[in-house]
Amino acid sequence: MSFSRLSILLHWVMAALIIVMLFVGLVMAHDSTIHYAGLFTLHRTVGFLLLLLVVIRLINRFASHTPPLPNDLPAVMKLAAHLSHILLYGFMIALPLVGWAMLSAGGYPITLWGGCHIPPLIGFHPHLWGALRCLHSLLAYGLILLILAHIGAALLHGIIRRDGVMGSMLRR
Amino acid sequence: MAHSPRKGSPARWAAVILPPLCLGGLMAWTAGMFSPAAISPSHFMQRFHNAGAPDTGFRRAHAKGMCATGWFDPSPEGRVLSRSGVFKGEHLPVMGRFSLAPPMPYLPDNPAVARSLALQIRSATGDDWRMALVDVPLQPMRDIADAYAFFGAARLDPTTHKTDPAASQAYAAQRPWLKTAFEQVKAHKQSSDLTNDTYNSLDSFILTNDAGKQVAVRWSVVAKEDFSPAEGSGTNDGNYLFKRLVQTLDQKPLSWDIVATVAREGDPVNDPSQPWNEADQKVTVGTVTFTKAYSEDESPCGPMVFDPTILPDGISVSGDPLLALRSSIYMRSYATRSAEHKTPSMVTPGDVANPPLTSDEKGQ
Ligand code: HEM
Ligand code: HEM
Repeated sequence: MSFSRLSILLHWVMAALIIVMLFVGLVMAHDSTIHYAGLFTLHRTVGFLLLLLVVIRLINRFASHTPPLPNDLPAVMKLAAHLSHILLYGFMIALPLVGWAMLSAGGYPITLWGGCHIPPLIGFHPHLWGALRCLHSLLAYGLILLILAHIGAALLHGIIRRDGVMGSMLRR
Repeated sequence: MAHSPRKGSPARWAAVILPPLCLGGLMAWTAGMFSPAAISPSHFMQRFHNAGAPDTGFRRAHAKGMCATGWFDPSPEGRVLSRSGVFKGEHLPVMGRFSLAPPMPYLPDNPAVARSLALQIRSATGDDWRMALVDVPLQPMRDIADAYAFFGAARLDPTTHKTDPAASQAYAAQRPWLKTAFEQVKAHKQSSDLTNDTYNSLDSFILTNDAGKQVAVRWSVVAKEDFSPAEGSGTNDGNYLFKRLVQTLDQKPLSWDIVATVAREGDPVNDPSQPWNEADQKVTVGTVTFTKAYSEDESPCGPMVFDPTILPDGISVSGDPLLALRSSIYMRSYATRSAEHKTPSMVTPGDVANPPLTSDEKGQ
């Protein structure tokens, strides 16, 4: 039992883009010797692309078949798997939304690569800007931990348990 | 198809644990966790703090300020240089913030200190043009490393609360490329107050017109009031510069021309520390007129950010490395101060509504 072709494609395209986004975000926020303007434009553009992709992915999640976890997987591990997947979706939706909301609250115009103009999600609220900027970091760090655990769990399935779970996201 | 759990060899477990560990380590490294001396936004904030910026809700630089509102009337000449909507409109709303350059929000006004003006001009079609300008003629730094060292040298001694002259001398001595900038800053004649001062962008910008033609410019916001030189401070009112601005605005509107200096071949476009050719063409793209003053505690200009890279279509950043740096550092300052509890600004709503005259000021 495997995921559908579209599910596999979405998973790996988004995984690559999210890793890129995490690195771009970390470089922007912690290294002043880089060319900030270019990276920031990339960050906004890929961020909105990911927001679009996660919507498509959620629709696809409910519209297509999801292979069940192995029967012999202990109940706690099944629960951990389901919970972590829900959290991963939650963070993938929340991060770009918070990014959008925080720049809106800060009164920053939001322009994407190529000049496309995104309307503000909320009005000018400087206090919210400070809080949301902080939330964006916390969510990003949370997503990093989730992704690291997710990679570890996938490798556990593929290398130790060898139960076909990893393969279900690698090939049709 | 399912396998029962089996014990893996140490090599297999390593293959499970090492990949996420390495990726996590790489991310921690990217976030600067292993490089405590790196040039980073948080280390810039630390340097502003050491240079006198408190953590009570003020800008980490240009902390003492006051707001003004008015309008912008573009000139037909501006339209020739840039296709931006701000040059096509009429009578566009302007938000301004006059400030003193140092990071101390409660610095008493005095003639020795550099002054600044920030502007936001908006058009009905959604254009947003922000500028942050100072009254010095050239920037005593040319790149990110210079900027970091510059604010390091501005550190206040924790006991005397004074800067160390040796530190700024060393900064200048180690950078022969800043010789002209320091000479011009020293030779700059300070005006008597904020109303007749001229403010410069120093960094340059690229203008694109309807035909797609591009030119590089530096901005100056030139006072229409006649220049008069600064006297000795002559007053013990710590807000005399701002009060004079309020009093003048109570009597009449004050105007500044926005002047573009157009770069010619050979002008150092991406280096704000170097002068351009004296004979460069100067084009007045419009006039800003202020009519009302506000304390920054009761105007949106207090909390907002004047990031000079927030630009409408038709105006864009040059390759000057300091512009991109400023965007990042202003954002960090803006996020930090927005999350703090702010103490009242030195120029209070009372000062603006009914500026009390000191006996010293009445004579001027
Ligand atoms: C899946 C999408 C996104 C991911 C994974 C992501 C990730 C990150 C990360 C890791 C950081 C650095 C946080 C820190 O260490 O403080 C960051 C910062 C930032 N992100 Fe995002 N982000 C996403 C979407 C967005 C979007 C859509 C926007 C805006 C439209 C945005 C705007 C920002 C801004 C303004 C910063 C601060 C940069 C600075 O401090 O100079 N992000 N992001
Ligand atoms: C061409 C050179 C520069 C000019 C003309 C300039 C001008 C200004 C002005 C006028 C303001 C006040 C804006 C306001 O009223 O809100 C300001 C704020 C500020 N400047 Fe600069 N500046 C320059 C370079 C730099 C550099 C190189 C740095 C540090 C890397 C820096 C750091 C800051 C910070 C932290 C703020 C406070 C931002 C905020 O919280 O809103 N500036 N600048």
